Amino acid sequence: MPHIFHEFDNAIGDLKSHVLQMASLTRQNLERAVQALITRNIDLSRTVIGEDTEVDELEMKIDHLGMEILLRFHPVASDLRLVITSMKMAHNLERISDHAVNIAKRAKKLCKSGDPLETAMIEPLYTKAEHLLRDALLSYTDGNTDLGERLKNGDAELDKAHKEVIALLSSRLETAGSGAENLLHLIFVSRSIERIGDLAVNIGEDAVFMNEARDIRHEHRRNLGEEDRVVEKSEEG
Amino acid sequence: MSEHQEIFPSHENLPDVMVGIRDLCFNYGSSQALKHINLELKQNKVTAFIGPSGCGKSTLLRCINRMNDEIPGTRVTQGSIRVEGVDIYDRSVDVVKLRRDVGMVFQKSNPFPRSIYENVAFGLRMRGEKNKVVLDQVVEESLKDSALWDEVKDRLQESALGLSGGQQQRLCIARTIAVKPLVVLMDEPCSALDPIATAKVEELIYNLKKDYTFVVVTHNMQQASRVSDETAFFFMGELIEFSETRRIFSNPKLKKTEDYISGRFG
Repeated sequence: MPHIFHEFDNAIGDLKSHVLQMASLTRQNLERAVQALITRNIDLSRTVIGEDTEVDELEMKIDHLGMEILLRFHPVASDLRLVITSMKMAHNLERISDHAVNIAKRAKKLCKSGDPLETAMIEPLYTKAEHLLRDALLSYTDGNTDLGERLKNGDAELDKAHKEVIALLSSRLETAGSGAENLLHLIFVSRSIERIGDLAVNIGEDAVFMNEARDIRHEHRRNLGEEDRVVEKSEEG
Repeated sequence: MSEHQEIFPSHENLPDVMVGIRDLCFNYGSSQALKHINLELKQNKVTAFIGPSGCGKSTLLRCINRMNDEIPGTRVTQGSIRVEGVDIYDRSVDVVKLRRDVGMVFQKSNPFPRSIYENVAFGLRMRGEKNKVVLDQVVEESLKDSALWDEVKDRLQESALGLSGGQQQRLCIARTIAVKPLVVLMDEPCSALDPIATAKVEELIYNLKKDYTFVVVTHNMQQASRVSDETAFFFMGELIEFSETRRIFSNPKLKKTEDYISGRFG
């Protein structure tokens, strides 16, 4: 049902459309960054680095629109959740785009210094992260909370694959000689992709909150007893 | 019985319930204004009544101290209201005493055309209190509790009508609490006040709830979310949803409530 004050609906629509624009641009940046890495395309790397400015500007615009809605319309209930989620989402998207820029910068360096065979290991990681991001965005746009909740499983798979890649690359570092620097670039690329998975999970969790007012963040930890938490912490340490 | 009955669990036997409203129906002539209301107002809490004009929220408020008795042709047709366990519509109830126990602050401040001092002392004098020391003490305490003392202590004998609108409303609150009521009913207490005066009244409500139980009728959603602990949403004489205020304004259970509070009604 629309709001009685139509300007409120217009403002909400404007906010959502900016979020979607930012999401689309961020996904494109990520895809291009990985393509630049895999196809050794230095121009594409430069494009990604350049377009990050637009993502940064969109983040600020979304914050501004969100603040304006809070000030002018005093949203409550689902409207309030939508505004808060949109602003948090913009922050997560901006960080994803930053990781895309990191990948693009590493791609530029790898283009100049050679083409390690291990680059091929990055693509499956990217595919997993891209699917996570796609599902996270769908959970926001379509209100699909199932997708949002399932992201943790996909992220666990990505984490596992990332650890395997890191283990393999690390094992080759000692014998890599002058190629060690390239392997380090790939380790950082893998790390960026793993972080993108985490940020996609954040977006999905926020989308669940937006749609159902349910906070599923840190659910695993909240479900643990105090003793379990202590054990888990000592294992982490 | 209301279709939403199942979401209102009974708390009437719990010790923290100050006002228990059970299956209350109320008529203006042949027109039913309240339909099977079940509601428990907790001690030392602020409960907000919200809803569109004509939904019955002010009618229910006025039922809690039987102010509607003054309107010809009105009557409670069914149900009961208990204040501290006492059925206030029982024939044995002294209505004057009830209105001391359940005081009321109105939309428009209504000080008597007397001095500031006499306004606050009025209730005590009506009760027969003549001891000047006691009267002085209660007037000072009530004005301090109403955050008005510092502004009026040097002109207690001046006319209350010379005070600003916000000061007059706080004086009415001082007059109400001077007789130490159990419950303070407020019918849109800030609708005629500027934002500063509104903030002072809201601060008062917040500070005074440790001593009194408040019920506030308001059309201002932000005010309801700022000052109240629990909120009841009414529509066309029915209680639609009653819950913690934070829940009502962040995640109401019913779509009708969400549509109303988010401005989608109509």
